[in-house]
Amino acid sequence: MNRNRSRGGQITRRRLLKGAATGAGLAVGSGMVKGFPTVWAQNIKDVKLVQVGGSYSAIIDIGRAASKDLGFQVEMQNADHDALINRVVNEPKTVDIADVEFFSQYYFVGRNILQPIPMSKYKWWDKTVPIFTKGEYPDGRKVSAEGTLPFKVQYLESRDAKTFAKAPTDLLSGIPTVYNADTLGIRPDLIKRPIERWSELLNPEFKGKTAIVAVPSIGIMDAAMAIESRGDVKYGDKGNMTKAEIDKTIGILIDAKKAGQFRAFWSTFDESVNLMASGEVVLQSMWSPAVTAVRSRSIDCYYVPLKEGYRGWGSCVAPMAHLSGLKLDAAIEYLNWYNSGWQGGFIAKQGYYSSVPETAKPFLTANEWDYWYEGKPATEDIKDPYGHLMEKAGRTRDGGSFWQRMGNIACWNTIMDEDRYMVKRWNEFVSA
Amino acid sequence: MKINQQTVSWLQVAPLTLVLLVFFGIPMVLVAVVSFFDYGRLQIIPAFIFDNYLELFQSNLTLRLYATAIKYTAIVWAITLVIGFTVAYFLVFHVRSLTVKIGLFLICTVPFWTSNIIRMISWIPFLGLHGVFNSGLIGLGIIHQPLFFLLFSDFAVIVAYVHLNTLFMIVPIFNSMARIDPGVIEAAYDAGASRWRVITEVVLPLSKTGIALGSIFIITLVMGDFFVVKIMSGGQSATVVSALSTEIASLQYPPAAASAVVLVLVVALMVSAILRLVDVRRELTG
Amino acid sequence: MHDTADGGRPWTFYALAAFFALFVLFLYGPMIVIYVLSFQGPNGGLTFPLNGVSLHWFDALIKQERTGDIAGAFQRSIGLAALVTVLTVLFSVMAGLAFRRRFAGAGLVFYMAIASLIMPGLFVSLGIGLVFQMLDLSTTWYGSALGAQLTWTLPYGLLIMFAVLGRFNRAYEEAASDLGATNWQRLQHVTLPIVLPGIIGVALFGFTLSYDEFPRTVLTSGSSNTLPLEIWAMTTDVTSPALFAVGTVTTVISFIVIGLALTSIALIERRRVRRAVSVGKSATVS
Repeated sequence: MNRNRSRGGQITRRRLLKGAATGAGLAVGSGMVKGFPTVWAQNIKDVKLVQVGGSYSAIIDIGRAASKDLGFQVEMQNADHDALINRVVNEPKTVDIADVEFFSQYYFVGRNILQPIPMSKYKWWDKTVPIFTKGEYPDGRKVSAEGTLPFKVQYLESRDAKTFAKAPTDLLSGIPTVYNADTLGIRPDLIKRPIERWSELLNPEFKGKTAIVAVPSIGIMDAAMAIESRGDVKYGDKGNMTKAEIDKTIGILIDAKKAGQFRAFWSTFDESVNLMASGEVVLQSMWSPAVTAVRSRSIDCYYVPLKEGYRGWGSCVAPMAHLSGLKLDAAIEYLNWYNSGWQGGFIAKQGYYSSVPETAKPFLTANEWDYWYEGKPATEDIKDPYGHLMEKAGRTRDGGSFWQRMGNIACWNTIMDEDRYMVKRWNEFVSA
Repeated sequence: MKINQQTVSWLQVAPLTLVLLVFFGIPMVLVAVVSFFDYGRLQIIPAFIFDNYLELFQSNLTLRLYATAIKYTAIVWAITLVIGFTVAYFLVFHVRSLTVKIGLFLICTVPFWTSNIIRMISWIPFLGLHGVFNSGLIGLGIIHQPLFFLLFSDFAVIVAYVHLNTLFMIVPIFNSMARIDPGVIEAAYDAGASRWRVITEVVLPLSKTGIALGSIFIITLVMGDFFVVKIMSGGQSATVVSALSTEIASLQYPPAAASAVVLVLVVALMVSAILRLVDVRRELTG
Repeated sequence: MHDTADGGRPWTFYALAAFFALFVLFLYGPMIVIYVLSFQGPNGGLTFPLNGVSLHWFDALIKQERTGDIAGAFQRSIGLAALVTVLTVLFSVMAGLAFRRRFAGAGLVFYMAIASLIMPGLFVSLGIGLVFQMLDLSTTWYGSALGAQLTWTLPYGLLIMFAVLGRFNRAYEEAASDLGATNWQRLQHVTLPIVLPGIIGVALFGFTLSYDEFPRTVLTSGSSNTLPLEIWAMTTDVTSPALFAVGTVTTVISFIVIGLALTSIALIERRRVRRAVSVGKSATVS
C-alpha cells in the first residue's frame, strides 16, 4: 500500500522536522481515515496488541469490539494499581498499549518507555474536551491545576524530551480516554441529613462509620480536602504538599484514627462496595462504579456533590516505545478507534466520561445521554453496560450534568514531589 | 563400578541448586545491590550509600512494623501448632485405614485450592457487622449489638492467617508422626505410661522435626505476607512487607530493597534459632 | 494400638474426632459463604442478603463477560501448577536423597533454600523481571513465572523430604541390598514406596502453593495473567459474584480429583499388600 501521502501543510511539516523522528510510522497518512479498518495490509490480521490497564478501563468487551471492527487482535490484560507501573517500566516488552492514569506519565517521560503520538495521526483532537487540549473550560476559565492536571503532562516537545511542554505542541504523550470527578459516597438512608462539605469525613458524628481509600497518593488528597474544608490547614497545592503540610495532615489523620473515626481503609473496589452495601460505613471515599454497584443492589447510595469541589482523575492510552512498523500502524489505528464512539458509549454506562463526547453520543440512547451527560432526569430505567438495572426512571445523575461535575474540580490525582516522604509518613499513619 | 557417593549426591542436588541459583540467587544479589542505591522522586540512582539502611534503623516506624509482624507470627504460630499437632495426631494414630487417612487429609486441603483472595474476601460477609456470624449471634440472643472487632481488626487478621496457613503445620507434623515406629509407642504403653505421658514424652519429641519445619513454614509465611494484613485489618495495620509493597508500587526500590534485606536477616535469625533447637539435617544423615 | 481391650475406641478418639470436625468446619465456613453467594441473583453483590437466586454468575464465567479472562487464567494456572508440581517433586525428592549423605556444599544449598523461603515474593518477582529485561528476554508464565514459583515450592519440598526421610530405618534398604537388589531397584521398590506419603505431601504443597501464588508471579508472568493475578486485578476495580462462582467450581473439581486420587490410592494399596511382604511393610499402617 502506498504510504507516501502528502502532508497537510507547511506548518505541519516544519513542526514534524523539529520533532524527533518516529521512523517509518510517520509516513502513514493523516486525517484520511473514513471508516475502519483503514490500515489494511495482507498480514494485519496477524497483529496482536496487548493493552494493559486497570480493570475499570481495560475491559475485555472493548477488546472484543475492537478486534471485530479492526480486523486484528486486541487483548486486554488487567493489572492492579500497584503492579501496573512496575509492569510498564520493568516489563515493557509484555505491553503494547499502556492504559494508565495521566500522572503516571511522570514515571515514563524521557525514559523511552512510551512513544508520543503525533497530533496529525489522531483524528479526534479538535473534538476533544478542552479540559485536555487547553486545560480550560469552554468559557475560558482555567481548570484547577492542583495535583496533576492532565494538560500539564499532555504535550511533549520531542520524543526524547525529559519534561513536558508548557504549551500545546504536536506531540501527545497519550490519548485521553476516560475520566471522572470523584467525591464521597454516602448512605442517605442511614445519614438522614444533607451532606455538603468534605469536612464531614472527619465529623465525629460518623465515628467508626467512615472509610478512606488506602492508596496513599489518593487517600491523602481526600484527607486534605476534608482537612481544608474543616479549616485546619490551608494548602498551597493539595496535590503537591510541602513536608510541613504533610506532617500536619498525617498528624490530624493519626489523631482521627486513634479516636476511632475510621472503620477501615479499603484497597480494593470490592471492599468499598461491600463496606457501603453492608452499612458498615455510611460515608467514605468512593469511585463512581462502586456507587453504581451498590445502587444496583437496590441499596440507596449517593455520590454527593460537595461545596469544595471534586477530585478529578483521567486516564490515557499510549503505544509503547518498542512498537514499530505494522504493529505501530495498528496501534495508531486502534487509538483512533478507541475514541470513535463504541468505547465511549460503553464506558459511559459505568459513569465515566469520554474525552470525545461527540463520538460517544450516537452510541447512547437519547435517554442515556441526557442522564449521564446532561444531568437530566431519566425518562426510562437506566441499565449498566451488561443490561442490569442501575437507576430507575425519574432520577438524575448524582451531581448533575457533565459541566456541573467536571466544571468543579478542586484537585487532580497525582504523585507529589515529596512522594517519598509522604509514603513513609502514610505508612506511619497506617500502623498507628 | 562404584561411583563416588559424593558425586551421586551432587548430581541429585544439582537441579534444585541450579534453579535456586538462577531464579533466586541472582535476584537476591540484585536486591542487595539496589539497597545501596539512591533515589529521587521518579528514578533510582546507582550509588553506594548507606542512607536507606540508616533511615530504616533510625525510624520508629521500623520498630513498630516488626513488632506488629512478630506479634502476629507468635500468636499464629502458637495456634497453628496446637491445631496442627492435634489434627496430625488424630490422623496418624486414631484413624486406622490408610485410605480414610488420606481422604480426610485431602478434605483439609480442598479449601486451599480455592484462591486465597476469594477466601479472604468471603470473610467479610461472614464476620461483618451484618454478616453471618453477627446475625447468628444476635438471632440467638447472645448479643444485642453486632461485634465490631470481628472484622477489620487484629482478630480478623489472625483468624485469616490461621485459616490460610494451618495446613502448613499439619503436613510436616503428619509426616514426622507417621515415621514413628509403632513399636516404640507400644513399648511405652506396656511400660505403664498414661496416654498423656506417651504424648508428651514419646510422640512430641519424636515429631520435633515436623514441628520445627512447620514452625519455619509458618514464620516465613506470616512474616512475609502483605495482603492478608492489608485486607483483613481494613488497612489499619501494617507489617514490614505491606509497607514495603507500598514503596514498590511507587517505584521506590532502594528503601524497599533495604527493608527486604533486613527482613531476610531477621527471619533467618529466627529460623536458625529453631534449627539450633532441632538439627533437622542431623536427623537425616543419622 | 492403644485401643481398649475389646478393640473399641478410647474416649480420646471421640474428643479428637470432634476437634477435627470443628476444624474442618472452620476451614469450610467461609467456603460455604462462597458456595451460597455464588448462586447470587444477577443484581446481587458479594455480601448478604441474597438478591435473588440464579446461575447467572456461572454463566458469566463461561461467557467471559466483564469477568475478565477467568477461563484462560484458570487454564494457565492449572497448567503452571501441574508443571511446578512435577518439577518440584522430581527435584525435591532427588535433593532430599542427596542430603542423606554428607557432601561438600550441603550447608550452602540448605541455607540458600531457607533464604529463598524467607525472601519476600515481591522482590523475587521484581528481581527476575529486571534480570529478564536486562537480558532482553520476555517474561512468560511458563518461563520466568515458573522459575519464580519454583523458588517458593522447592524449599518447601526439600524441607518436607527432610521430615519424611528423618529417622529413616535403613534396615529395610539394607535388607533389600543383602537380597541382591541394585541401587535402582532398591530405590524403586523400597525407598520410594516408604516415603510415598511424603512425596504426595510434596506434590500437594507444590500444587497448592503454585496455584495460589501471587507475589512471585505478579511481575513475572508477562502478558497473560494467572488466576490469582486476574482475580486480584478484578477485585481492585470490579465487583462480581463471579469470583465466588470460581470458588465453587474449583471446589467441585477438587472433590472430583480427590475422589479419583483416593480410588487410585486404594487400588495401589491393595496391589502393594498383595505384592510382597518381604519388600517391607509400610510404616504408616498402624
